[in-house]
Amino acid sequence: MSRQILTVDDSPSMRMLLRAALTEQGFTVFEAEDGVDALQKLETLTPDLVITDINMPRMDGFGLIEALRTGHACAGLPILVLTTEASDEKKARARNAGATGWIVKPFDRDKLGAAIRRVLH
Amino acid sequence: MSVLTRIELPQMQRLTVAQGDSVASGDPNLMYTTVLGSCIAVCLYDSAAKVGGMNHFLLADPAPLASEEAHLLNRYGLHSMELLINAMLQRGCTRWALKARIYGGATMREGLGDIGRRNIVFAREFLANEKIPILGEDVGGVSARRIDFRPAAGLSRCKTVDVTPPEKIIIKPPPSVGDVELF
Repeated sequence: MSRQILTVDDSPSMRMLLRAALTEQGFTVFEAEDGVDALQKLETLTPDLVITDINMPRMDGFGLIEALRTGHACAGLPILVLTTEASDEKKARARNAGATGWIVKPFDRDKLGAAIRRVLH
Repeated sequence: MSVLTRIELPQMQRLTVAQGDSVASGDPNLMYTTVLGSCIAVCLYDSAAKVGGMNHFLLADPAPLASEEAHLLNRYGLHSMELLINAMLQRGCTRWALKARIYGGATMREGLGDIGRRNIVFAREFLANEKIPILGEDVGGVSARRIDFRPAAGLSRCKTVDVTPPEKIIIKPPPSVGDVELF
């Protein structure tokens, strides 16, 4: 059975690109358009990994990570941040909030796949 | 005898938006300017936040490039648009308030094939996917264009110009492109 990934990004174009890259590597992909949508989807989904953007309306990536880490059901769920941001300050904030890793866009399919496999190992 | 009052307008600062750049501002004294051949510039504006932004990108014609390189360049088109939208959001804009204008995409010389058209199609498709309305566009043709855009007012001006801007495809990734760091 393929591993399941929830991608969270407010850009439909980016979600489309991610879906193509991840399904090509054998993953099953679910999508959410921001943190609020992701939390609603996680009430019924049980993905193996969440990949989230940072800059999103309603609830950003930091808010999503904090919400997931305070909820017992998702406390151990790996969360990779995939963002255009590269500042050390924001990276540290994500790490402190409980993110598992940080990937800078535009992403490289092979590097992304390798990172996912390491996290899911 | 006529009475004229001289009004001192603040000096407008002009900032050139080069290929690969994505910028946004709410500064009323700032004007973005660029010259386009086959390249595309997308101007975004949020009238509530009074913030505008502009990018400048060129996608590949897959024919003369290896498919991997063409794919890479198309990713940078997407990346350029995302950087622009993020720059707007970081300055207080709302995604669903954004409106767009598209400029450029000319066919500057025969050897370049239909790169201009591909750029136009990419920009239109991206904005349609993102549900960002296109308020206007001045695209295609065979002439270069000069675009002036005042981001705080959302006012743009497009003029055809008799110059040939460089058409070299510049791959300008951020320094840490695709970097992965596991905590």
